[in-house]
Amino acid sequence: MKFFLGVILIAVLSALAEYFLPWWTIAVVAFLVSLMLGFKPGKSFLLGFLGVGLCWFSFAMLHDYSNEHILSTRMAVLFKLPNYGLFILVTVFVGGLVGGLASWAGALLKTPNPSR
Amino acid sequence: MFFMKRIFGIVLLVVVVVLVYVLDHPIGAMPAIGRLIDPVNGCWANAEPVNEDFSANLKLKGVANNVTVWFDEQLVPHVHAANAHDVYFIEGYIHACFRLWQIDMETRAAAGRVSEVVGDKALKFDRKQRRKGMGYGAENSLRAMEADPRTKEMMDAYTEGINNYIASLNYRHLPLEYKLMGFAPEKWTNLKTALLLKYMADDLTGKTDDIAMSYLRDVLPKEELDLLFPDKVPGSSPVIPKGTVFEKPSLSVPVAPPDSIAFPHFKAADFGERHEDGKGSNNWVLSGSRTASGAPILCNDPHLGLNLPSLWYEIQLQAPGLNVYGASLPGTPGVIIGFNDSLTWGFTNNYRDVKDYYLIKPVAENRNKYWFSGKQLDYTKRVEHILVKGKPEVIDTVNYTIHGPVMYDEHFSESIGMKENLAVCWMAHRATNEMLAIYLMNRAGNYNQFVDGILNFQCPAQNMAYADRAGNIAVWGQGQFVNKWKDQGKYVMNGSDSSTLWGQLIPMRENPHVLNPAQGYVASANQSVTDDTYPYWYNGSGFVELRAWRINQVLSGTQKATVEDMFKLQNDTYSWLAAGTLPLLLKDIDSLKSPLAKKYRGLLSEWDYRLGAASESATFFQIWWNFLSKDKYEKIFSNIPNQLWPLQERTMQLLQTDKLYKLNIELWDQTKPYELSGDHIPAEILIRAGEPHYLSRKSFEEAIDSIKKFERKISAFRKTDNPLKWYYAKNTTVSHLAKIPAFSYDHLKIGGWGNTVNAAKSDHGPSWRMVVQMGKEIEAYGVYPGGQSGNPGSKYYGNFIQNWVDGKYFKLLFLPNADKQENKSIKYVWTVKGG
Repeated sequence: MKFFLGVILIAVLSALAEYFLPWWTIAVVAFLVSLMLGFKPGKSFLLGFLGVGLCWFSFAMLHDYSNEHILSTRMAVLFKLPNYGLFILVTVFVGGLVGGLASWAGALLKTPNPSR
Repeated sequence: MFFMKRIFGIVLLVVVVVLVYVLDHPIGAMPAIGRLIDPVNGCWANAEPVNEDFSANLKLKGVANNVTVWFDEQLVPHVHAANAHDVYFIEGYIHACFRLWQIDMETRAAAGRVSEVVGDKALKFDRKQRRKGMGYGAENSLRAMEADPRTKEMMDAYTEGINNYIASLNYRHLPLEYKLMGFAPEKWTNLKTALLLKYMADDLTGKTDDIAMSYLRDVLPKEELDLLFPDKVPGSSPVIPKGTVFEKPSLSVPVAPPDSIAFPHFKAADFGERHEDGKGSNNWVLSGSRTASGAPILCNDPHLGLNLPSLWYEIQLQAPGLNVYGASLPGTPGVIIGFNDSLTWGFTNNYRDVKDYYLIKPVAENRNKYWFSGKQLDYTKRVEHILVKGKPEVIDTVNYTIHGPVMYDEHFSESIGMKENLAVCWMAHRATNEMLAIYLMNRAGNYNQFVDGILNFQCPAQNMAYADRAGNIAVWGQGQFVNKWKDQGKYVMNGSDSSTLWGQLIPMRENPHVLNPAQGYVASANQSVTDDTYPYWYNGSGFVELRAWRINQVLSGTQKATVEDMFKLQNDTYSWLAAGTLPLLLKDIDSLKSPLAKKYRGLLSEWDYRLGAASESATFFQIWWNFLSKDKYEKIFSNIPNQLWPLQERTMQLLQTDKLYKLNIELWDQTKPYELSGDHIPAEILIRAGEPHYLSRKSFEEAIDSIKKFERKISAFRKTDNPLKWYYAKNTTVSHLAKIPAFSYDHLKIGGWGNTVNAAKSDHGPSWRMVVQMGKEIEAYGVYPGGQSGNPGSKYYGNFIQNWVDGKYFKLLFLPNADKQENKSIKYVWTVKGG
């Protein structure tokens, strides 16, 4: 449950941050949330990957659906990808990777709670 | 353990920072990927919903009164404003809103500022733009435009509108191309508008054959030069119909200086600037006597580069005393080609030569001076600072002479190399105010007001066709011309003698024109402007005749024409060239017996001479014709740099009279004047060339070979429709300005070629087809190969293209000049309040 909420938290905070700040603030968000929640390293990567991935996936889908794939199809051709679906996947993967690595780093740098 | 974890954590953090840095910065030609694909702010933000509601309430600082903009189904805006300032402000705002990146790039291209955003691969281009004096000309014109209160207000308001829009942008809302190329828009200025107009002047008057002709003049005997390159193609059907009586000229044609003084000589090694095919256009007007409705019909299709975003943007502008609809040129205010409540007009390029080169003789011992009229004159230096992305600034000092800027010298030459100092004298350098012409034409209510307007249109010279609701039709060969002596500017001139200077300007009212000619129509398609009774001397930089012959043929037999007939003519693909040559050529190849020869001979003999999209005969003919020209001229011109071949129509005529065969034989007999040393022609060819039909057969066989190769190549690469279909072979492409294939449309299924009325070439073609019937009700149709939005992520980006390909038109919505509109074609509304 905590993990699930963490994913949602990263997704929402990333969206908010990006609206006002440069795109790479997604890394800061994933790092800080992970630092706060402190999952095991493997799990924390997944946390960041899914969190930012969810955010980027939602926005990409929102745009793509209402646009009927006009833009994504052109961008896929531009990047020599076979179809627009793959361009969405690449988008989500890049965002997820940045989020995941940042989140992982956050987990590693969390000072262990001495009382635990 | 904990320590190790922390070390790893820090390492990972560094990895993240590096990753983010890499994704946030362009690498080589790759854009900053992270920033680009970010779905919140990056390219995804340019994915415009297909059911986007464009309606808006805007509060814009600088707008004086309320303005309403109605957008119709094609997203054409209809602007209704209470004064001239507001209407041009909103036009600027709208152009920026839909075409910002395009106008930015076009003005950068005009000014020679492309390197600033793409790096040093554009440096040579930028230097060329500056050396030909684009910025100098634009600054001169800007002074003229700002000196007139009407155009000053027009341009100031337009600039204000663009800048208002730019100020409202953040990264998320930038056009996609800025995100791809990694730069941001800068503030608009009136100078940029002036630059854009010079960009058009360059596009339309920038090509000239002076340099190539100078060499040909030295190496070809005079009779042959005149035979191959006549000033006017014999049998021309000129823009101003034959028999039109010209007014008595106020100036007499000056006496030419002796050739020995006027024209210098060149060596083969001195050359530059390759010849390119010119741009063409068609316009014609039928008077009511030839139409079914009894009202005149005007048609226009300027042939320009086929690009996306399109050069044109449709708009209707309304203000007190103004109600005009047509094609606007984003980057400039007003409507360039269109119609208003009272009248309509169209443009084709006029092609009278207004750009000449002069050989400059530098003073040997002083690099700051040159010789003129026995005196040493100082160059005026113009220092060009060229910013280059990722590299230090490049400084190029251009020397200006009494004639104009020294374009070529030891510091700058083009592909083949020009070591001589050549200055360019060009009408586009002058302080002309074409904006005033547009301002007045847009508002003109009758013929006289229209003429008063176009008299301000000096460069690029245009054939301006005209029709009004009172039933008048007219055409003007309009522009500012110099009263030249015979052959002045036909060849590079001696720049150190005063006799070669450009002389007096011909008063513009004396420009060739005709009002309501007896034949009941006028037509221009870049042919010679007048017959020989026109009192002034001129030559052309691209006069062509084939389309004009065809249009005249059709119109002279037209009675009771409808707009549909005009659609048909604009989309006509009948090849006058094929009809004029193929029957002769087919006789020449009678003796060829191979199966393929039989097959193609069969195809061609059944052909209707139409370059239809699906025609294979068309493909074969065009390939054959190319080989034939090559075979005929290659030997003549083989050692000539900067090759300039005779026009197709001239080749056709020479072929019809057998003169070309004779010429080939003569030329091959005497090698001397053509510097063919080291390139001796085998005796066998000489003998066979003596046989008149040898080259027809040779080229026919070459064409078959080439087709076989082409078929093999294509089938190996991709499965496709028959690659020999004409549309496929010629590949008409509407290509994105940055040459991004993903944003372009290629292999469009359209017929025609440069020599047919529907002049859809590979990258040039009818850029705006318009048909307007000026009856009680104005009935207007138009289409251009693009769409109203410049955003590749919009459904309005290329939505007109299929109609354009199919020869279909949109009925243009011309709203009455009123505050309120009730029209079911109106889909979105902007209500704009001043702030």
